[in-house]
Amino acid sequence: MDSLRLGTYTFSSRLILGTGKFSSTSAMIEAVRVSGTQLVTVALRRFNSQQAEDDLFGPLSAIEGLTLMPNTSGAATAKEAIKAAHISRELSGSPFIKVEIHPNPHHLMPDPIETYEACKILAAEGFIVMPYIPADPVLAKRLEEVGCSSVMPLGSAIGSGQGLATAEMIRLIIRESNIPVIVDAGLRSPSEACAAMEMGCEAVLVNSAVAVARDPAAMARSFAKAVEAGFEARNAGLMPRSGAAVATSPLTSFLGAAS
Amino acid sequence: MSTIGIILNGERKEVPAGASVADLLNSVGAESQNVAVVVNERIVRPDARASMLLQENDQVEILVFAGGG
Repeated sequence: MDSLRLGTYTFSSRLILGTGKFSSTSAMIEAVRVSGTQLVTVALRRFNSQQAEDDLFGPLSAIEGLTLMPNTSGAATAKEAIKAAHISRELSGSPFIKVEIHPNPHHLMPDPIETYEACKILAAEGFIVMPYIPADPVLAKRLEEVGCSSVMPLGSAIGSGQGLATAEMIRLIIRESNIPVIVDAGLRSPSEACAAMEMGCEAVLVNSAVAVARDPAAMARSFAKAVEAGFEARNAGLMPRSGAAVATSPLTSFLGAAS
Repeated sequence: MSTIGIILNGERKEVPAGASVADLLNSVGAESQNVAVVVNERIVRPDARASMLLQENDQVEILVFAGGG
């Protein structure tokens, strides 16, 4: 597979995994390993003595070839997101930052204004900026212009499993974008990830669909295959769609000839 | 031994006067390489934690990575 380029990094896997909502750290680590993903998101939280054993930074750091992409979840403003980015870079050493600013807990929709302000500053500071955004083609272009390394439009609300509800908007974003478009949020099934790749996305980010599956490792493997399939299909050139039938077999009418 | 009051992760806590940031991490069972430390809005790097002494009313945040999407 051609490599995915983000900032100065190249990845052979086009599946990005989130690490939240798994039943245990070991379940998450297994899913990460089995999927072949090379980029995972993590969040910042306050240290808690009781939860010290649940550290996932150590186990993730032990996986060869894995890069961390901290997110700014919890931030309600650009200022808070920038602060989270600085702390995350300090802790992880990774230049990646997923700018994720969603102040409303009911729908978790990203704030486009705070996101734009944060991205402008973080891109200028040299971060590899990956903004989580509504599927808005104008916003996507503005973010490209201020130096984001990709745009990550949502398929539907985080964890909702509603799939590619924004498909047509994502098509518009892809059409105009010079940077990778990565669908992030709301995907439920591998077929949806495949469809996103066929559409022209350069990668997909999946969390709940894997973490909440009955067998997360198997689901992660399935998503990895689907992402590869969709990417290859797109490169292979999908046939055109037609309103009418276009025959695949000859229609010579000899069968009804009088003898 | 005298103590000073700091705010750790949003809660008031008494620590020994003269304690360093590194001492604080040890006392709460935090492994230095796995945590970020912010004191009064400034990030404190690992190599500065042993020499940085806590002051009365310091606002300290000890942060780790957790699962997230």
